[in-house]
Amino acid sequence: MTIPMIVNWIGLWTIIRREMTRILRVPIQVFVGPWVSALLFIFIFGYVVGPRIAMIGGHRYLEFVLPGILMMNVINAAFLQSTSQIYFQRFQRYIEETLVAPLSYAEMIAGSLTVVILRSVATALGILVIAAVFGVASIRNIWEFLFWVIAVSTIFGLLGIIVGLWAKNFEQLTVLNVFFITPLSFVGGVFNTVSMLPGWLRWLAYGNPFFYFINGLRHAMIGFSEGSEVFGAAVTLTLCAILAVTVWRLFSIGYGLRE
Amino acid sequence: MTPALSVSHLSKVYRRGTVAVDDLSMTIAPGDFFGFLGPNGAGKSTTIHCVTGIATPTSGTIEVFGIDAVKDYREARRLIGLSPQEFNVDPFATARQIVDWTGGYFGMRAAQRKRRTDELMERFDLVEHQKKQFRELSGGLRRRVILARALVHEPKLLILDEPTAGVDVELRRDLWRYLQELNRDGTTILLTSHYLEEVERLCRTIAIINRGRIVRNGPKAEFLTGEGLEFAYLTATGAEPDHIAGVA
Repeated sequence: MTIPMIVNWIGLWTIIRREMTRILRVPIQVFVGPWVSALLFIFIFGYVVGPRIAMIGGHRYLEFVLPGILMMNVINAAFLQSTSQIYFQRFQRYIEETLVAPLSYAEMIAGSLTVVILRSVATALGILVIAAVFGVASIRNIWEFLFWVIAVSTIFGLLGIIVGLWAKNFEQLTVLNVFFITPLSFVGGVFNTVSMLPGWLRWLAYGNPFFYFINGLRHAMIGFSEGSEVFGAAVTLTLCAILAVTVWRLFSIGYGLRE
Repeated sequence: MTPALSVSHLSKVYRRGTVAVDDLSMTIAPGDFFGFLGPNGAGKSTTIHCVTGIATPTSGTIEVFGIDAVKDYREARRLIGLSPQEFNVDPFATARQIVDWTGGYFGMRAAQRKRRTDELMERFDLVEHQKKQFRELSGGLRRRVILARALVHEPKLLILDEPTAGVDVELRRDLWRYLQELNRDGTTILLTSHYLEEVERLCRTIAIINRGRIVRNGPKAEFLTGEGLEFAYLTATGAEPDHIAGVA
């Protein structure tokens, strides 16, 4: 009846299908919300605030700020997808459907992350289309662009899984977003260059991983960079590896999953 | 002959120190219809959860048709179908999606899943409800979906944790007939129930668990001699003498 299993590809694909079905039930919340929010940012910075701000590195302010807006939305999409996915499965107990099935931890994690990445990429592409309407969608290097979108989605997808496993209520789901993700992304150079910061605050930007995510994507899109993209990529990949091992370990001990 | 299920010295202690299962051992022969009885909180569901992977055993071993359910969990789980006591499904998914997705988790190809899901929708009178979300279904229909989900991959060992709780008499009797058919065709069934009539009618072997330990285990005939199953059950579980006297 069933096929021999080294990797349960059909099981993995089913996790992806199920989650895609779930997010497509709420398209306004998942896709339209971030796109409308990005549209408003682009409008305000493109037509209201932008013209009053000087060019940055030869780029219009909207061109400078767009990669940051895009990255903030990618981060939010990834984090919200993975926290809600794992938390709702636990809350409604349908995580048990996968626990009793012949699925490995790696397949469960890979299934979740695939949907995280698909949602983030769709969010990013939607914002690019909106930006194109405003004449500011440029990508200098598509591979570099994809690297940053996918790698950063993976980091926040994994972080979201950890929070989703840990959270005991809806309030705890938002803690990381409110106190960590939103503040660090705002001071990570979404709206300003590091050189605009007071001298004593610059170290904070260089010590903030969000700076490297935004800087990397900005380099991929408009070629503007204030830090080393290679160092940023190394930080990003290291975070991916640490979080992946942590999540795998949590799954293998059944943290938040098994009784 | 390799047992369908062999549980040896199983213990489960929860984080707060509650001992749910205490050095429990039992064996279910292949093809058996096994009744697993006990009062609420006795450890029935926890034992089932350890067997199926929902709970991690603290100690002991579990083998499903000779396969270690902890070390070779993927192979062991392919052989088990579980209908849990509580509805553990995505309430916004449709009846058909729930069954189809479970087939997918078990590695069934799309054509196999379609055929089997059609078959189960038909068998459990779910055809007209298959596109409704689970939350829109009545209690009886929900129970049918859960049973169909447990059966989609044609498990060799079917575990039913109070499958007829809250269902009407008609469905209960229909389900009994179906379970007897499945069992005749070779499926080993482990059934927990608070309806002693159900266990008496369906099972060939009975085990009674109390406070995490098996307190009585044997062929049904042994329980039916003398005062009957209810008396045996109340005696084994240490019920109040007044309750036992009322039955005897």
